[in-house]
Amino acid sequence: MENVEKQLREEAKRLLADKKVDVIVGYEEGTLPLQTVPCFITNPDDAGKLVWNSFCSQNLAKYVHDIIHQHRESQVRVKPEDKTRKVVGVVARGCTTRSLVIHLQERQYDRDEVVIIGVPCTGFVAKRKVSTLVDGKEILEAAVNGDKISVRTTSGDKDVPLKDVIADNCLNCHFNNPVISDIMVGNEAPPRDVDREYDSVNKFENLPLEERWSYFTKEMEKCIRCYACRNTCPSCYCKICFVEQSQPAWVGTGDDPTDVQVFQIMRMFHMAGRCVDCGSCVEVCPMGVDLRNFLKKLDKDGFELFAHKAGESIDKPAPLSTFEMGDKEKFIFEPESSS
Amino acid sequence: MAENKSNENWEPKIVAFCCNWCTYTGADLAGISRIQYPPNVRVIRVPCSGRVNPFYVVKALQEGVDGVLVSGCHPGECHYITGNLSARRKFAMLKNFLTYIGIDPDRTMFSWVSASEGEKFAQVVRGVTERVKALGPANKLVKKV
Repeated sequence: MENVEKQLREEAKRLLADKKVDVIVGYEEGTLPLQTVPCFITNPDDAGKLVWNSFCSQNLAKYVHDIIHQHRESQVRVKPEDKTRKVVGVVARGCTTRSLVIHLQERQYDRDEVVIIGVPCTGFVAKRKVSTLVDGKEILEAAVNGDKISVRTTSGDKDVPLKDVIADNCLNCHFNNPVISDIMVGNEAPPRDVDREYDSVNKFENLPLEERWSYFTKEMEKCIRCYACRNTCPSCYCKICFVEQSQPAWVGTGDDPTDVQVFQIMRMFHMAGRCVDCGSCVEVCPMGVDLRNFLKKLDKDGFELFAHKAGESIDKPAPLSTFEMGDKEKFIFEPESSS
Repeated sequence: MAENKSNENWEPKIVAFCCNWCTYTGADLAGISRIQYPPNVRVIRVPCSGRVNPFYVVKALQEGVDGVLVSGCHPGECHYITGNLSARRKFAMLKNFLTYIGIDPDRTMFSWVSASEGEKFAQVVRGVTERVKALGPANKLVKKV
């Protein structure tokens, strides 16, 4: 891990010094334990700030999109011959590169506007899992020690095994190595337990309908509509989100439970074939809503119906933007008496 | 709205999104051929089944309809060549997803009815009405006003 970090800093410094990129998006040490924060480096001397560890949870593709689009907007009134481009370098793990692929497929920016520094990933630590293991005590300090995390809480120290606190989405990750990259640092990460990827979805599918509905409503009751999930999601980049549209007003903004449910259904459905299961929405949710259970279903359907995994390859179009004559249509209603 | 299944007079409200070129014309044919079908459907004409945003379906359920029917041209016969093929993928995922979160699969129905199939349109409406009737009034996702 330290080795990767060192290489990463060197590469970032070199890219900035050579003016290959205007800004590097990466992670830096945060002010709170168990988390790192995104950082934006423009000066080669600051490259030492970059870190790469198990606390890097956010999907940075979001910022790549934001930076490029903000820059483009700032160029709107500039004469064509004076227009500049901004090239963004990004520290990208597997899921981040998949989000970048989705952006590229959706023509959000060009391939030469982004320089991808690929890093192998062994999964990130889910803060909520650590918090449960230390009985919800306030965590003052945490550090990774081999395969353990030493946590100092208000009521003493505790060591928790790293494998118990890795986020759910990382446990069965297919893409812990970048799918595209310009520069790779570190060695390939070992494959994960990919065969059980859809176990949780299969289990949930087999529950009775009413139980599924009550689980869904129970989870959605927690939601306070802070939109943190939307704000952190790289695939949620609409200039005006449907929740904020007023003509027509798609969904009410009050605390009506059905409005919350409809908001979540539609936000999740917009992720059909676009969710890379990076876990950012789950990680930032202040109320701990189990979004992944539902998003994973869309992922599973995309795979089982259309043999598609979001962001797997640039040449493979998103499942809902293409079609085949022979697509399955078992769900189509045929009245019995018709021939 | 004190509607429940025990109420003998309860009749389901069903919204049908019909594509202008096939199903809507098919419904027209059913009408001029004097084919009887339940009056529970409220037909909304759309240019193509591909025009139907999945949100329309969810929104209709939230506004309190008991069932939604989306119907368009048979695959390969779309007026816009491929609109219904995109729609098919969209609705395959939508129906699966809504069922997954616990909404009865019979509340959201999709079918293909061509302009010449007046009788089939009537059969589809009969079938959908029957199924929705069996489920009773919608109680999930319905916004209480």
